[in-house]
Parts: sequence; C-alpha cells; structure tokens
Amino acid sequence: MNLIWEGFLEALRLVAGRDPLVLGAAFRSLWISAAAVTLATAIGLPAGTALARRAWPGKRFVILAARGGMAVPTVFVGIVCYALFSRRGPLGPIELLYTPWAIMVGELLLALPIVLCITHGAVQALDPRVGETALTLGAGPLRRWRTYISEARVGVMLGVLTAFARCVTELGIAMIVGGNIKERTRTLATATALETGKGEFARGLAMGVLLLVIALTVTILIAAITREQPDGNR
Amino acid sequence: MIDLGDMTVRRNGTVICSVERLTVAAGQRVAVIGANGTGKTTLLRVLAGLETAVAGRCVVQAPRRRRVYVHQNPFLFRGTALYNVMYGLRAHGVGRESAETTAREWLDRLGIAHFAARRVDTLSGGERRRIALARALALEPELLLLDEPLAELDELGITRVTACMRDLEATTLIIASPTELPDGLTDRTHRLVETAPARDRQSV
Repeated sequence: MNLIWEGFLEALRLVAGRDPLVLGAAFRSLWISAAAVTLATAIGLPAGTALARRAWPGKRFVILAARGGMAVPTVFVGIVCYALFSRRGPLGPIELLYTPWAIMVGELLLALPIVLCITHGAVQALDPRVGETALTLGAGPLRRWRTYISEARVGVMLGVLTAFARCVTELGIAMIVGGNIKERTRTLATATALETGKGEFARGLAMGVLLLVIALTVTILIAAITREQPDGNR
Repeated sequence: MIDLGDMTVRRNGTVICSVERLTVAAGQRVAVIGANGTGKTTLLRVLAGLETAVAGRCVVQAPRRRRVYVHQNPFLFRGTALYNVMYGLRAHGVGRESAETTAREWLDRLGIAHFAARRVDTLSGGERRRIALARALALEPELLLLDEPLAELDELGITRVTACMRDLEATTLIIASPTELPDGLTDRTHRLVETAPARDRQSV
C-alpha cells in the first residue's frame, strides 16, 4: 500500500516538475494513438456503415474477421508488424521499424476492428425508417451516410473512444516495433515496463498512474456520451 | 401517372399486398381505404419505390426523387424542426439560405412556425406529424404518398394540413382509414379488399 502511495506522490512530482522524459512519453502516446484512431475512424466509419446497410459478397466473413480482430493480443499485432517492417520483410525498404510510425500502423490494426465492429452494430441497430426517410427525401449516398452516423452517434463515439483507450494503453506493439527508444519511440506503457524492470517501482507506478488518468478520462467521456437522457432518448 | 395491374408484393413467401387494378391520373387525389392487413401501407411503399419484391404491372411516371412518402409513424432526424424541414431541400441541392426560407414558409403554413428552433425530441406526436408533413410538402413532389396524415392531429392541425393539401398540384394517395378525411379533400376513393394476404394469415 505504501508503494502505491509513493507512486502517486512520485507521479504528482513528475508532472508538477514537468519531467521532460515523462511528458515526452505522455505526449508521444497521445499523438500516436490519436493518429491511429483518426485513420481507423476514417476507414472504419464508412466500412462499418456499408457493411450494415448493404449486402456485399464476403460480408459475413469480414464481420467475423473484425470481431476476431477485437480480441487479438497486442503482442501478436506487434509480431505481425515486426515481420512486415523488418529489413527482410515486405515493407522493409520503407524503414519504418523502430519509429513512431510503425507503432501507429500497429495501433491502426488494433483500432480498426473495434471502430468497424461497433459502427456496424450501431448502424445496423438503427430504426429502418432512418434510411427510408432519407431516401424518400432525396438524399444521395453521402448524405444518407452522414445521417446514419449522426443518428448512431452514441455507438460510433463509443467505438472511437474504446479504440483510443485500447491504443493509448497498449504495450506489445510499442515494445516490439517501437523498440522503447528514449526520446524517439518510448510511450507511457513502455516507460512503465522499463522503470519497473529497472527496480524503479515508484517511477514505474507514476507512469502507470499517468496512463490510468488518460484511460479514466476516456472512460468518463464514454460514460458522459452514452448516458441516458431523462426523456429516454440518447 | 400510376398504372398497377395484378400487382402483388410478397414477404417471406406470403402475399402482403395485392392490387387487381389501380390507375391514377396526374394531379388526382385518391383516398385509399381498407381493413387492417389489406396492404394499404405496402401499396404506398411500392409506389415510393421502397419495396423490391413486386410482381405484376407497376408503372409510376414520376422520377424516384420526385416521390415523397410520409410514414404512418414519421421519423424525424435528430436536431431541430427547421433542420428536418430543410433536410429534403438541401438533399435536392437547394442552397442553405433559400432552403431555410422555404422551410420557414412551410412551417408557417402548417401553423408550427414557433417550433422551428425546437428539438424534435421535445415535441408531441401531432406536432411531429405536422413537421413531417411540412418536410414532405416543402419538396413540392410530383407524387405525394401520405399514410394516415391526420392521425393524432388536433382540430387546428387538421384545418391547416387539409388547407395545404387542397392547394397541392401533386398526385396524391392518402391512406384514410381508420382516420377519416374531410369531405371534398380527395377526388375518389380506392378500396383495398381482403385478398390473398388475409386468407393466407387465416389459414396459418
């Protein structure tokens, strides 16, 4: 218990003292995850909507694969990305291994199934009158898509924030394809693992607490967005 | 404008609507009546282009984008009443300012101008129905398909809506049962009779 208390105090000291390594890792974690989730949203929202609203060949396989993708361990994604980006891998020539961009690609693979599956579920659960009303009022495919996303916004936001929470706290991908290089690819999760490994429990815990604060903020946002309104509408 | 002959609609192998003969000339207003389960709503959905499993002759001489169907229980999009009435106009390429002016005019004609800025989830059933009608009428469609448009409306609402409908040039089909329409609103009445669907259901 004492160790945990020390960890909290150390976390406060690090943030208050603007420790450059900690703030650097925190900032890196945030921008890499934000970029990965932005890309996953750009792909997952149209794809999830298209899968929910139309019959495509192989649709069931894609949905099944995406559902499976939600449960894939991050170390597995990390190993796959390592195989892709290593010197002998198919994407070796672009030299992304041990850069933040490699972590971003890995996190994109992690976030995409989450955004896609939750968007698919949210749009599929919409009242059928949404699409029919938009269609009969003359809305084209783009306007109809925007209407689906607007009406299913609670589910869609839930998917995006869940993906962000998963990315910002993941360790396997950042460790394997990022390499935990100081001031280059070190994220809060890899820094936590490193400090704990070095026996700097309080410092490791302090990093973990920062990670926890970010994850909790996202969770509170999810709760606020999905909160039922008094009239029963969400 | 409309020419149906021996038209049937099936869902999961069961006939849910059957029309032996129905022709409607351009500009006519026709009341559609019939007992529950005779396929009145399905008929309007067919004419709106929302049903796909249609067999028989079904000719509608109006482009898909010029037909508007107002659901029995209209769906309003999240947002304000004004946004909803502007939705179709914007979808038809009308500029924002012009769409807003037209939308406000129609809200005014239906006596609900004061609801323009109200969020639709704060409105009553009758108010929501009038907004859905304003949204449909604002498009000035060639073919207007209304599923029980006067249900839930109060006396003032019925007066406003029927006054707007009398001025319409659009070919209009109105489901008029169980809610009866005021005299003289429609040119004639088409009764859907219990055909295959009802018998199918009874035999199950």
